[in-house]
Amino acid sequence: MMTTILGIGFTAPWLLLGLAALPVLWLLLRAVPPAPIRRMFPGVTLLLGLKDDETVTDRTPWWLLLMRILAVAAVIVGLAGPVLNPRSQAPGSGPVLVLLDASWAGATAWTRVTDLLDQQLAEAGRAGRPVAMVRLTQPEDPVFQTSTAWRSRLAGLQPQPWQPGPAQVTTVMAALDDLPAGTEIRWISDGIDYPGRADLTAAARDAGDLRIIQTMHETLAIWPAKFEDGVIRLGVVRALPGPERVVGVMAQGRDPSGTERLLAGGEAVFAEGETRAQVDLSLPAELRARITRFELQGQNSAGAVSLGDDGLRRREVALIAGRTGQEGLELLSPVHYLEQALEPTADILTGALLDILPANPDAIVLADVATLSPAEESALEEWVDHGGLLVRFAGPRLAASDVSRDAEDPLMPVRLRVGGRSVGGAMSWGSPKTLAPFKADSPFAGLEIPDDVRVTAQVMAQPDPTLADRVIASLSDGTPLVTRKALGDGQVVLFHVTANAEWSTLPLSGLFVEMLERLAVSTAGGMPAAEDLQGTVWAPQRVLDAFGTLEDAGTLPGVDGPALAADPLGPDLRPGLYQSGDRRLARNVMADGGTLTAATWPADVPVEGMGLVRERPLGGWLLGLALLLLAADVVATLALSGRLTSARARAPRAAAALALAVLMAGLAPGDARAQDPSADQTARDVMAADELVLAHVLTGNAEVDDIAQAGLRGLSDTLYFRTSVEPSQPMGVDLETDDLAFFPLLYWPITPDQPQPSAKAYAKLNDYLRSGGMIVFDTRDANIANFGSSSPNGRKLQQLAAPLDIPPLEPVPEDHVLTRTFYLLQDYPGRYNGRGIWVEAAPPDAEIAEGMPFRNLNDGVTPVIFGGNDWAAAWATDADGRPLLPVGRGFAGERQRELAHRFGVNLVMYVLTGNYKSDQVHVPALLDRLGQ
Amino acid sequence: MTAANGLRHRAEAEAGRLPPLLARADHLAGTVLLGDHGRRRAGMGDDFWQYRPVQPGDSRRSIDHRRSARGDQQFVREREWQIAQSVMLWVDRGASMRFASDDSLPSKADRARLLGLATAVLLVRGGERVGLTGTSLPPRRGRNQILRLAEMFSEDAEGDYAPPEHRAMIPHARALFISDFLGPMEEVEVALTKAADRGVRGVLLQVMDPSEEEFPFRGRTIFESVGGTVHHETLKAGELRQRYLDRLAARRDWLQRLSRATGWQMGLHLTNHSAQSALLWLWTALNRGA
Repeated sequence: MMTTILGIGFTAPWLLLGLAALPVLWLLLRAVPPAPIRRMFPGVTLLLGLKDDETVTDRTPWWLLLMRILAVAAVIVGLAGPVLNPRSQAPGSGPVLVLLDASWAGATAWTRVTDLLDQQLAEAGRAGRPVAMVRLTQPEDPVFQTSTAWRSRLAGLQPQPWQPGPAQVTTVMAALDDLPAGTEIRWISDGIDYPGRADLTAAARDAGDLRIIQTMHETLAIWPAKFEDGVIRLGVVRALPGPERVVGVMAQGRDPSGTERLLAGGEAVFAEGETRAQVDLSLPAELRARITRFELQGQNSAGAVSLGDDGLRRREVALIAGRTGQEGLELLSPVHYLEQALEPTADILTGALLDILPANPDAIVLADVATLSPAEESALEEWVDHGGLLVRFAGPRLAASDVSRDAEDPLMPVRLRVGGRSVGGAMSWGSPKTLAPFKADSPFAGLEIPDDVRVTAQVMAQPDPTLADRVIASLSDGTPLVTRKALGDGQVVLFHVTANAEWSTLPLSGLFVEMLERLAVSTAGGMPAAEDLQGTVWAPQRVLDAFGTLEDAGTLPGVDGPALAADPLGPDLRPGLYQSGDRRLARNVMADGGTLTAATWPADVPVEGMGLVRERPLGGWLLGLALLLLAADVVATLALSGRLTSARARAPRAAAALALAVLMAGLAPGDARAQDPSADQTARDVMAADELVLAHVLTGNAEVDDIAQAGLRGLSDTLYFRTSVEPSQPMGVDLETDDLAFFPLLYWPITPDQPQPSAKAYAKLNDYLRSGGMIVFDTRDANIANFGSSSPNGRKLQQLAAPLDIPPLEPVPEDHVLTRTFYLLQDYPGRYNGRGIWVEAAPPDAEIAEGMPFRNLNDGVTPVIFGGNDWAAAWATDADGRPLLPVGRGFAGERQRELAHRFGVNLVMYVLTGNYKSDQVHVPALLDRLGQ
Repeated sequence: MTAANGLRHRAEAEAGRLPPLLARADHLAGTVLLGDHGRRRAGMGDDFWQYRPVQPGDSRRSIDHRRSARGDQQFVREREWQIAQSVMLWVDRGASMRFASDDSLPSKADRARLLGLATAVLLVRGGERVGLTGTSLPPRRGRNQILRLAEMFSEDAEGDYAPPEHRAMIPHARALFISDFLGPMEEVEVALTKAADRGVRGVLLQVMDPSEEEFPFRGRTIFESVGGTVHHETLKAGELRQRYLDRLAARRDWLQRLSRATGWQMGLHLTNHSAQSALLWLWTALNRGA
């Protein structure tokens, strides 16, 4: 079917004979010179009579010929249908059964498995063989269909996060018995052993022609995380001992913003020949509590994921005792047994209740605390309401107090009867009581009650309608021992006995610890044993798929506690996170101490690797190459015959522009990297915030910006010498990038060509104006247009100011505060002495104050001042303090400059002190008062 | 009907071509401020020349009262005498001018007309009389003359290379010849010597396309004149470049010598350069000889 030449197969080899025609083509092409161009040229009169130096016909150059020959050769070879790596296997016949392990162990290499399947199916399709596929992890009866039907379903074929179990193996073995004769069985194995695999191999060998195809991928798995000796201990196992290998272990979790990210990482090192490695991660408790999963780097399977559960969290439990200050009576301390019980698994907080609450502990234990102050009570109630767990123990104080006597205290689950009771003592009837077995709906259900637990005294609950629901443990005579009620998101639990051994022997027994555990006061490290989980039902929250991704559990049914702990994984028990009440348990693919065993096969079964070599047709590439060559030929021919002249004239320019653009593109990020802009910005902000800084808006016109800078420098100097305002160096402000909040005053010179700020910048400017900033607009044209549109600066000002939030304006009235904040002024000259300075209009109802030459004006400072006197030019000084620009002529000019400076001083004073000077309207009233 | 339509259509097209050329010429002329070319003596004119005491015979109306009121003597304000010149234009309308080597460049004819008309606008504004050489449009003054000039410029001649028109030249007038001067040289020589005989001085402006100046051609090429009457084939155009440039330089040199001998000035303008610089040169060259 396919002829192979030099390792390349050809579908139409006879076409290659066309290559023989190439030399003829060479000779033909060589003889034909390029055609002439007819070109219009008035200067032809000057050419008349000029003879060519060479009279020989111009020949096509050899390289152009070679290019054309190559193009033709590429077309011929491309049409001959070359195929790299042609498959020349003899196809078999008869149906094909594909067995897939499809367990988590193959998930990492699953794309290769599907590629292989695709190829196998394509092959079977070419031979017209029916195909059936069976996944061992989720077996179904083999259905023989055309390979096309299977190929369309290939994308939906996914591995499962468990290994084939005995049930599945049995199902498949039964199916193998019914196979038609002559079936070829191809078993795509993940290379990991599991119980029943050997039997299945034997059965498959009997049923048909068996071929094993094995993933050549290294399978690694991780054990559940254990918290021991202050570190998280993780075991990593591999199937085959090999050379030394380092595996990265990543701890993933949520950062404070709730985003999943890498929290910590470590490296597990397999020694040479070892199949186990270990890594210890030492993390602070806060970080540890955030970890949701551990992953092996480079692995993509459920086995390489270890989910974190409560075992990683050490709960913070606050212990608060009613009696304090008694030293030496350790064993009588109300919290001694609690401390002993909780110490191994929880962090214990002690201190005053109000100091502890802000730390938001997981649980608070009040041992014989009767009354709380109202502040403590409300704080505690709020904390419980937000999900806290409050565990109270009874005691003499509680029994003696009136807490929850007549009405139920919010922080007590039940009402209490006066006094409590005492049984089995010297002065009472009866014997000490034992505990009744826990009811099924109690959180303690399934816990074994030791025989030696006796209760001699307790507080008694008032029989209320709600009492029965709240009892979660009771004595053999039915009196409640532990009661519980929900309060908001949290709950309140009351042990009707003391937390020490005074009233019962409960704190002395192991049951006490287990009860605390069930109440999620403490958590046991690691996976609990099956018997510990007796009587609990665990609902799957999130389950792992074979690739190690957590998915929502959906409607999966709950799992019995013991089954969760001990049963092998399968369709009914998926790896994932399970929840029961307040406790969360993770069931991982690998159990602690589990190993991986490589699958071994009988010697007479052929085993292949998954070395997949794809057939690669080369025809398209060769034809594409031919097209490229022909395109190059077009360009070269045009160039040779002079038809590219005009393009060539432009080419260097275009090339230079291109090179420049590339260079710029390359340089620009480099520059940005060179100077860290954010650090720069921060330093600038600090400088601006540190001292009073006058600022001007950068217009992009270097001359204007320099003048503005020099002007503000001159004004700053004047302020420094004459007033108590001592500004530091003024700054230019880029409205787009800089923060405006630091500047009390923005001087904005108008140039006709400055860019319009962006919408963002305007939002910033409006914020600035609303929050008390002031912008001084200076059209610098002596206001010849009276802010109309008849001057370019005026037009620009209108454009710039339109989006700003500007109040109604009026020309500065004679009694404006600006006229007397420091100097008494009536003119506001700059380099020009124009009138027409506009400020925010006074309220219409302003009245002339009695006995004062000015009105009782509005509070606050005008947010904008419009003028055109080019103040900055009048203020401008060089570094030595000499004026930069002339103002007016002679003494009158100097006087004008002085007035300009005075206006500047008044302006800054006005910005800084607001309408302080306007307060003089109140002087008569003040004097009047002083006189009294 | 169709003939009339066709004529109308062509007339419209022609008329449509006029205003843009005029507008552009006006625009271009607006960039040049009129220089002073007074006669340096009292006479008819607009500009102040001097005050002189009143002499018998002066009309009372001519007394300048503003000046006279300063003293007891009465003065008359005299104006500078300004005269009008006749300037004759010749703009090559041959087919060889209708050539542009690139779409982004104007054709030589376009540029030559623009410069000619702009110069005419300037001259008319300066009070000179402008016309064409030959008998078709004798020099006159006024805005209408500009319109007539524009009309004449819009016509194309038949031949490939048009000879300079040298008939009916007014003695001692000024002249401006704009052409590529690629046609037969004898005609130019005849025109210039005849002009020199009559005391006519003027300016030659050679308008060239950049490709004519550089000869950027390669490969096998057949060169044709615009009218198609002359052609030349070469196998390697690149080899001809140097010899072409030599010939071009020789021709320009000959033109220079000829213009020097006849008292004319010669300038070169490439169509990829700005028209304004050429106009400035033309204007100063015309003024220089005045």
